[in-house]
Amino acid sequence: MLLSLNWLKDHVAIPKNISPEDLAQKLTLHTVEVEKTESQAERFNQVVLAKILTIRKHPNADRLQVATVDAGQKEELSIVCGAPNIAVGQIVPLALPGAVLPNGIEIKEAKMRGEKSQGMLCAEDELGLGHNHDGIMVLPKGKPGQSFASYLKLDDIIIEVDNKSLSNRPDLWGHYGIAREISVILNTKLKALDFSQVKLSLPANKKSEGLKPLDIKVENYNLCPRYMAIKLDNIEIKESPAWLQARLIAVGSKPINNIVDITNYVMLELGQPLHAFDAQDITKIVVRSAKKNETIKTLDDKDRKLEDGQLLITDGQKALAIAGIMGGADSAISATTKSIIIESANFDAAAIRQGSTKLGLRTDASMRYEKALDPNLAENALKMAVELIQKDNKKVTLGSELSDLHQGFKSIPAIELDLGWLNNLVGQAIPVEKTKEILTNLGFVLTPTGKNKNGDETMSVKVPSWRATKDIAIKEDLAEEVMRLYGYNNVSGKLPEVSMEAPEKNEEIALEHKIRNILVKESKLTEVYNYSFTGEEELKKLNLDDANYIKLVNPISKQHTLLRQNLLPGLINNIRTNQYRYDDLGLFEIGGVFLNVFGNLKKNSQSEERLPYQEKQIGIALAGSKNELFSEIKSIVADLIYSLISPQIEASFVPTDMPIGYSDKELKAAINVLGKNIGTIVKVDENITKGNGLKKIVVMAELSFNELLKLVQNYGYKQYRAVPKYPPMVRDLAFVVDAKILYNDIRDALKNFHELITSVELFDVYVGDKLGANKKNLAFHVIYQSDERTLTTEEIDTIQNNLINHLQSKFEAQIRNF
Amino acid sequence: MKNKLQQLKDEISSQLNTVANNELLRDFENKYLSRKGKLGKLMKEIKDLGEDARKEIGQFANTTKQEINAKYLEIKKKFATGGPKNEFIDVTLPGNNVKHGHLHPITLIQKELEELFTSLGFIILDGPELESDFYNFEALNVSKHHPARDMQDTFYVDKKNEAGEYDLVMRTQTSPVQIRALEKHGAPLRGISVGRVFRSEATDVRHEHTFYQMEGLMVGEKLSFADMKGVLELVGKKLYGPETELRMRPKFYPFVEPGSNGEYTCFLCAGQGCRVCKHSGWLEILGCGMIHPDVLRASGVDPEKYTGFAFGFGLNRLVMLKYGIDDIRLFNSGDMRFLAQF
Repeated sequence: MLLSLNWLKDHVAIPKNISPEDLAQKLTLHTVEVEKTESQAERFNQVVLAKILTIRKHPNADRLQVATVDAGQKEELSIVCGAPNIAVGQIVPLALPGAVLPNGIEIKEAKMRGEKSQGMLCAEDELGLGHNHDGIMVLPKGKPGQSFASYLKLDDIIIEVDNKSLSNRPDLWGHYGIAREISVILNTKLKALDFSQVKLSLPANKKSEGLKPLDIKVENYNLCPRYMAIKLDNIEIKESPAWLQARLIAVGSKPINNIVDITNYVMLELGQPLHAFDAQDITKIVVRSAKKNETIKTLDDKDRKLEDGQLLITDGQKALAIAGIMGGADSAISATTKSIIIESANFDAAAIRQGSTKLGLRTDASMRYEKALDPNLAENALKMAVELIQKDNKKVTLGSELSDLHQGFKSIPAIELDLGWLNNLVGQAIPVEKTKEILTNLGFVLTPTGKNKNGDETMSVKVPSWRATKDIAIKEDLAEEVMRLYGYNNVSGKLPEVSMEAPEKNEEIALEHKIRNILVKESKLTEVYNYSFTGEEELKKLNLDDANYIKLVNPISKQHTLLRQNLLPGLINNIRTNQYRYDDLGLFEIGGVFLNVFGNLKKNSQSEERLPYQEKQIGIALAGSKNELFSEIKSIVADLIYSLISPQIEASFVPTDMPIGYSDKELKAAINVLGKNIGTIVKVDENITKGNGLKKIVVMAELSFNELLKLVQNYGYKQYRAVPKYPPMVRDLAFVVDAKILYNDIRDALKNFHELITSVELFDVYVGDKLGANKKNLAFHVIYQSDERTLTTEEIDTIQNNLINHLQSKFEAQIRNF
Repeated sequence: MKNKLQQLKDEISSQLNTVANNELLRDFENKYLSRKGKLGKLMKEIKDLGEDARKEIGQFANTTKQEINAKYLEIKKKFATGGPKNEFIDVTLPGNNVKHGHLHPITLIQKELEELFTSLGFIILDGPELESDFYNFEALNVSKHHPARDMQDTFYVDKKNEAGEYDLVMRTQTSPVQIRALEKHGAPLRGISVGRVFRSEATDVRHEHTFYQMEGLMVGEKLSFADMKGVLELVGKKLYGPETELRMRPKFYPFVEPGSNGEYTCFLCAGQGCRVCKHSGWLEILGCGMIHPDVLRASGVDPEKYTGFAFGFGLNRLVMLKYGIDDIRLFNSGDMRFLAQF
């Protein structure tokens, strides 16, 4: 919202020593956020009025003249000018050296063909005031030396306030409300509004002239708590007076005609929207909700379909206006309007907000109504409008009795305020007199009620009507009033006194950080954050079914319409955008996914309804040109388990039938730890990588965060085992088996074969023609160890031989000698 | 066969003794030890021997090979660690390439804040990203048609409640964690929560529909505005240095009363005024306030017995200021050129 400083000064005295910047700062620190202050005059800095005293021909140039001018300075100035229209005695705008004109020209003192020129006489277009370049702008009158901006009455300062910072303050949507705040901040006087002279009905002796009230009906007073209207006759539509136009221009409102401008002016002054109808065809007004399929053409010339229940102003049949939002084109003020009805109403904030949201139409009026306006405001606003209209045109007469429909206004009970309580909340004592002064100046009425048991004053506080609609309702609201005007920065910070306590550890967050550290520091991966959203197209390209995804109702792009169920799509995107700059990529994300089933968290402490299931996942993606990536990602997963849980607990990879849309048919496995499936690893199918524009081999791992957390909680402790006292015996064993026999099975067979075998380590896998088709050679170190004695070669030989026999019979293994 | 091996072994030993630098060692390796080298060829011949001979010679060949290898490695090591004095060693050569991983910059600031607040005795809290209208709005004193809903453009998901209304949102703030935490832990409580939040607005250099916040709260008996200010002043000093001051001004948030904005002395110009702080000397960093009694009540805490304060930081902004990042979209871009700098 834009505020005019001149306008504010109509209502409140602002001491000279307070600059607009100071004022803006004070408003920001105590009331609302000022975004900027700007002087209207800035653009005409160093442009003044000058009177032409003499004119002579330029001695060295046919088309130039040299003028001497009085610019209000001690000495006359000499100006070279090319325009033919200048004459002695004219008052013209002069740009002095140092002026920067709106078109960017910087004025300097110069010699033009040998003649001194101490400035430039300006044409309209050079001042940004029009397109006229026919000649120098000649002004009807003016005092030499007067600044051009003040001549144009562009001497205002514009203060721009952040609308969001006004969203809880219905009283601040006009200049008067802000002026009230300024008066409290500066502790200066606020001029009272007085409309007692404005008569909205004929004097008693003229009642016989037979004015009737308008025929108005309000169907639902909950939606329209007050409807005031009056008819005015003998209207003449014309331009508004200059002062009014200047005010509107200053705050960015375009002047239209005298009637519309006055309704806008009143709104910008008091915050109460008004609407003026052309009264010609209106015999009746009914405020009601829209019926099915009703339409209206609004002032902006748009045909609008109205939703059921939209609050309307109608003539009993058709809609005249969308209540509180925008008027209709048919009843709009036009050049031929002779008679008007002015509406000053109060509408329900929620109804206006809902309507304006549904229509996608936010107007100056709807913005104000949806903040919950004071119904008392309607009366002052109507009086002010009638006064201005009659002042502008003395012939205007009342065309009806005043209508004022309402069923009484709700008032809120006085608030009990205990100054001891207030001081406790602040954390320091605010002087009692200061507290009272602030509240009183803001319009609160204080009635002492005694003292509390500590001797602090208590009082009953009556809230002024303009703050009572929702803004102020409880003692905490009063505390804010006192504190903000006393100054948040006048409160000294102190550290809370609390009993010492060791904060409880959040194991989930701790584990997240641990996982990140391992993946970054040990596996050299880079952490990414991807969007929580995915889209149909993206899923389709990954051969994933989007049927069971939770959808956004109001997505902002078609790439982001669904809530992700795994981290893969984001990682695939990351690879695509980075692939041309990096040979190898190793990325991971720890992030939330959203499933279309009920989870554990409640929607509401009172209800049993539950939120959709959400959990964290860990997604890892490697991309490169090597075929070994599948084995690399296993190392990363194994290292993660090793580091997170314990060196004694291993991750194993087992074949899986799980359908994974984007996976290679062969290269996929479930990740098992202690027999529990905690995730999968896959090589992304080559058709899928191609279809997604990827030029690299991509492998992925996905791990369930919750399963990892459980493992860490149950097994993630380290237990020392005594260092062996006796030396181990290591035997190497290599054998050829059918390629389909799984490492996992062989490893288990070796490991479980004898209690003296404490571990087995695979150190070579060979597949080649020499072995014959579908064969592989595996080589293991088999480690024998006893806690009780040194093992003998003989006993190990025996076990080893039995082991060989076992492998031969179980796997048809062909043992190879070294 | 055995003789051939023995001969080769002697030849190799004497050759090895004459190797004087790395270059010669490589020649030696090619000549004898590589797959097509003399030793390799000889080893292959063993395969073709009869079974008995193969067994015997094989063993001898293996020992020989091991001995030669051991000696070769010893010499190789000598060169690697110093080499003969007559060869120039360029000590400026770089070491081997080391690969690096990178934590996301938001993670870095998250850890910094979590460490700071846990050192002050705050616990770390967590809450869902897909949240109910109740926790995201109603319980925070933002009723259905409250104008404050305009302050936050909300993503709704296509699930309706029994009354036929959309009642699930992508949380627009981390504040719902306040309610869930108070319900779970009760008062007194002090905690923080870092997380992802969402607003349905178009993205550009300064706007993102997905960003990160930190929420903090402290609830107890007799906590005051001055206590809040003290804690936030301390946080400012920890984040930006001991000279940092806090400036507060009123700001409306429906879930606090009184509500305030917090600005810290601009750490880039020490409050002198610069481009980043728009020449004000202050950086707008946080929102805060005394928790509204309705919010305490909605969380099952008696506002007559307990008071509390809450505060929120925009993490993207903290990180952008800290590292001089000028485009908020980089955070969710996955661009390695960005991520690899952290």
